[in-house]
Amino acid sequence: MGAWLNGPMTWGNAVVIFLWGAVFLMIVLGFVTYAIYFERKVIGWMQFRQGPNRVGPLGLLQTVADILKLLIKEDTIPRKADRLLFTLAPILAYVPAFTVLAVIPYTQKLYFADLNVGLLYYVALSGISTLAIVLGGWASNNKYALLGGMRSAAQMISYEVPLVISVVGVILLSGSLNLRDIVEAQSGGWFWNWNFLPQIIGFAVFIIAAVSELNRTPFDLPEAESELVAGYHVEYSGFRFAFFMLTEYVYVYAIAALTTVLFLGGWQAPAPFLEFVPGILWFLLKFAFIVFFLFWIRATFPRIRVDQLMGLGWKVLLPVSLLNVFLTAVYIEVFIKG
Amino acid sequence: MFNIEFNGEFVAFFIFSAIIVCGAVLMISLQKVVHMVISMAGVFLGLAGMFVLLEAEFVAFVQVLIYAGAVSILMIFGIMMTNHQDAGTEKVLPLHEGLAAIGALALFGLLFYAIRTTDFPKPLPFQGGEDNTMKIGQLLYTGYIVPFELLSILLTVAFIGAIAIARRLPEKLDGTAGEDTGIDGGSTEQAVQLQTKEAE
Repeated sequence: MGAWLNGPMTWGNAVVIFLWGAVFLMIVLGFVTYAIYFERKVIGWMQFRQGPNRVGPLGLLQTVADILKLLIKEDTIPRKADRLLFTLAPILAYVPAFTVLAVIPYTQKLYFADLNVGLLYYVALSGISTLAIVLGGWASNNKYALLGGMRSAAQMISYEVPLVISVVGVILLSGSLNLRDIVEAQSGGWFWNWNFLPQIIGFAVFIIAAVSELNRTPFDLPEAESELVAGYHVEYSGFRFAFFMLTEYVYVYAIAALTTVLFLGGWQAPAPFLEFVPGILWFLLKFAFIVFFLFWIRATFPRIRVDQLMGLGWKVLLPVSLLNVFLTAVYIEVFIKG
Repeated sequence: MFNIEFNGEFVAFFIFSAIIVCGAVLMISLQKVVHMVISMAGVFLGLAGMFVLLEAEFVAFVQVLIYAGAVSILMIFGIMMTNHQDAGTEKVLPLHEGLAAIGALALFGLLFYAIRTTDFPKPLPFQGGEDNTMKIGQLLYTGYIVPFELLSILLTVAFIGAIAIARRLPEKLDGTAGEDTGIDGGSTEQAVQLQTKEAE
């Protein structure tokens, strides 16, 4: 893919790049459709229910029907809402969610953008979605939406700090911000070369902060329905609401892929005798496991209280992630350089 | 006259310039404060795009992270705490406006003339290096270590100072919440204040 990006900008190349983007968008939309289906199915099984099983065989078309419903639903904008920002917010939320996916490498050959600051790019753009959520909440002119938006911004900002600091250890070990180089640095044949064991503290902090960034249970306070009706998207309906939902699930995809790349060795096989299996399959397996893990904690954890939330972020995760950076630096200085 | 090569870089430059100029103009001309912040965030994003074109990826994404993300959200937080119903309705004087227009046109003419007549030296082929992020890091921790550390101390002092100022507030605030901040006492704003207290 790099050949097209670095080549001269002709109309032919532009069309090819555009088509790749469109194909990828379709793949992501397909993922979101079936991620929602599996989330409902998995949570159903965990709670001794069937989950969706009416539309299509095994309920496979349930999400498709739901999306169709959302698309043909009446699109309402409250009279007192700020029309411009109300319409802008869902777009501003979705665009960064999709663009961060550009730097994820799937295998040695299959990647979209080979950026030397890939990790920073991810962190920077995902911050824009926070802006969109605050704006959506504010523009709705509804107090529950505003409260949800404010909660969401406070939460996403305070958990972004430990999230970023927890990956500093990974950057120290691999000496690069490029996600492909980070995967290459984890090669060595065996699964204990992957970052999740040497960086076990960083990995734990990363997973907790990532779940919080996704606004999912146990950190789904921005949309705590028992306190806030629905949170920042309470006034949204139809297509615009679908965009917020889409953003949430595209970030599930992004975080699962990022965790795979940073801590679980990307496309590397867990043992040398398993290397005949293509890398993309390993990537997909690890990716699917992280997605399943996110559904699993949603089904089994209660929601955290709002005062505990900020305390956990600033008083526990931040010092632990700083300690992790310090320990990693000492380790590198003593064992690798010394 | 305009010896321009029509390639991807030029198209990208043109789009980013358009975003920056539109954002800056809208920032001045819009009436609502939140809209202004959004157009300013647009300018920051356009600038980040320019940095990418100049092969300074690190600066570009730090720009997005700090300015388009953190600073914009901080400003929006600040604005939401205040009354957002009234928009600026200042009466403008026609003479003042006319003079401002003439001044702006003259400045544009001057700059345009200067740029067109200057003979720029042929730039050397740019050598950004394989990994300029690594180079920035090495420079920061070798040659520029003292200014870097001094800056971190300054930021830490500012950070602790901000916490110290914010911590004293709740004792004074009981009962007479925010009389001097232009809050119209609407339920939403009060709820938001409660919310931020909770968040602390």
